[in-house]
Amino acid sequence: MRQRRILTTATVLGATAFLSASALGVGSGTDARAQSIPLAEQRYVLGDEIATYNGFIMSGGPPPDGIPSIDSPQFVNASAARLAPGDLVIGYYHRGEARAYPQKILVHHEIVNDQVGGLNMAITYCPLTATAQGFERGTTTLGVSGQLLNSNLVMYDRESGSLFSQIAATGLRGDHHGRSLVEVNLIWTTWERWRSKYPETRVLSERTGHLRNYTRDPYGSYNPLGGYYSQQGTIFPLLHTSRNQQDKEMVVGARTAERSAYFVMADLARERILRTENFLAVYDSELDTGHIYLIAGETPDLRALSDGAYEIGGERYRPDELPLEEAVSIEAFFFAWNAFYPQSESPGRG
Amino acid sequence: MKALRRLIVILRIPKYRRMAAGIGGIYLVLFLIALQDISLGGRGFEFLTVDWARMFDRTGAFTFEPIGQLTMPGLTILLSPVNILIGLVVAALVGVNLVITYIAFSQPSACTFNRSTGILASVPALVAGSACCAPAIVLILGLQVSSLFITVFQVLIPVSMLLLLFSLKLILDRTVTELIDV
Repeated sequence: MRQRRILTTATVLGATAFLSASALGVGSGTDARAQSIPLAEQRYVLGDEIATYNGFIMSGGPPPDGIPSIDSPQFVNASAARLAPGDLVIGYYHRGEARAYPQKILVHHEIVNDQVGGLNMAITYCPLTATAQGFERGTTTLGVSGQLLNSNLVMYDRESGSLFSQIAATGLRGDHHGRSLVEVNLIWTTWERWRSKYPETRVLSERTGHLRNYTRDPYGSYNPLGGYYSQQGTIFPLLHTSRNQQDKEMVVGARTAERSAYFVMADLARERILRTENFLAVYDSELDTGHIYLIAGETPDLRALSDGAYEIGGERYRPDELPLEEAVSIEAFFFAWNAFYPQSESPGRG
Repeated sequence: MKALRRLIVILRIPKYRRMAAGIGGIYLVLFLIALQDISLGGRGFEFLTVDWARMFDRTGAFTFEPIGQLTMPGLTILLSPVNILIGLVVAALVGVNLVITYIAFSQPSACTFNRSTGILASVPALVAGSACCAPAIVLILGLQVSSLFITVFQVLIPVSMLLLLFSLKLILDRTVTELIDV
C-alpha cells in the first residue's frame, strides 16, 4: 500500500482553538513534518465553487463534537477483537504497522485521531456517504462539526477552527479555506480479509473513552446489508444528482488537481481492469477493493493474472504496487461521489 | 395556581395517579429507546462509567452524553442523567395530559369542554413523541429532510414541553374537580 505524497507541510497558527492536542491526550508525533495541519501544495479539483459549497452546508443536527471523535484510541490484538468475519473494517498500513478500525465503532464517532508508524493521522468515516478517508493531521486533532455538505461529513481542525469537507478533502471556511489536506489510502474491507493479509494487525478497542452500544449501528447494517445502507434515496439534499447508477451503488473514485473519475466496484470486481482516459483501476481480490492509478492518456500493457496479480511488460505486480502513479482511492456511495464530482470520468463516459 | 390545585386533587385519586404514572413510565421508556439510550444488543454483563461532568456535553440540541453504561446479554442501557431528567418532565406532562383527556371522555360532566377539545390535549403529547422519534422515523422511512426540518426538529422538545403545559392549563381550567368520580 503506497501513499501518494503530493503535499507538504504548512504552518498555520489558528486563532480559535477549541482544545489543544495535548489537552486531549494526543501523543506528540515523531514525524518530522508533525507541525500544525499539513496542507497540499495543490488543491484537489472541485465540482463547484467553494462559495457554492458554503451556501449549501447545513446542520445535520448534532452540535460541534456532538458526535465525539476518539482522541485517545486504544488497541487490542486481532485475537481479542470482537468482530465477525464479515464485519467491515477500515484498514490502514504504514511503516510496518497495520490498524483496523471497525465500522461499527466509527459509525458512532466518525473520526479517530491516531498515530500510526509515527505519523499523526485522522481516520475519518461518514456513514451517510460510506466514505472512509485518512488525513495527516500534524499536531492538531480533527473533530466532527455537526455540519453536512452533500450529506457528507464536515470536519473541523481544532487548532485553527477551519472547516473541511471530507470527500473534497478541502477547507471550506477559516484559515485553511481553499486548501486541500494531505490524504492517504485507507482500505474498506471485511475483518476476515484484513486479518488474513495482516495477522499482526492491531484493532481499535471498544474502550474509546465514550459510552456507546457498539453492537448497534443506528443507520442499518452491512453484515447483512440492510437499513439506510441498502435503501434508495438520501436523507440530506445534494448539489448534483444522477440516474447513471443506483444511489447506494458502491464506487471507487479518485481525483487530482484537474480531474476525477469513478469506477463501479461490482464492475471492477468482475472485469478486474477498467480504464478511463486519465485513470486506470485494478481490482484487489485479496481485500475486495480497488486501486486507481493515473495514466494520463497512456495505455499501459496491463494483464490480469489468475492469482490476483497483474503483469506489465512481463513483470508481475500486486494490485497495490503497479509501477504507475497511484492516486488516493476512495470508496463511496455513488450519489455522494456524483454530488461532489458530477464531471467525473467513468468507463462508460470516457 | 387554581390549575395546579386541581391537578393535585386529581393526582390524589389513586386510580388517576397510577394511570398517569403508567402512561408517563411507558413514555419515558419509549423516549429513551428513541434516543437510543436503551437499545438492543449487548454482550456479557458490564457496568462502565466516565467522568460525571460529561453529562452536560451535548450530543444534540437537547440530548446529552451518557456517564454510565449497563450492558447485559441482548440489551444495553446508557445512563444519561440529563436525558432522563428531560424525559421525566415530558413523560410527566404527557401522563397528566392524557389522564385528564381520559377524564373528559369518561366523565363529561366533570369538564366544561367537549370531547373534541379533550382530543386536542393529546396533540402536544404526539408532538412530544415526534420530538424524540423523528430521527428514527427519517432513517427507517429513508425520508429526505431540509434544513428547515432540522431547525424545527432541534426545538421540538422545548416546544412540546410548552405545548403540554399550555394544554394542561387549558383543560385544568375547564375541569370541575368536585364532580370527578373517585
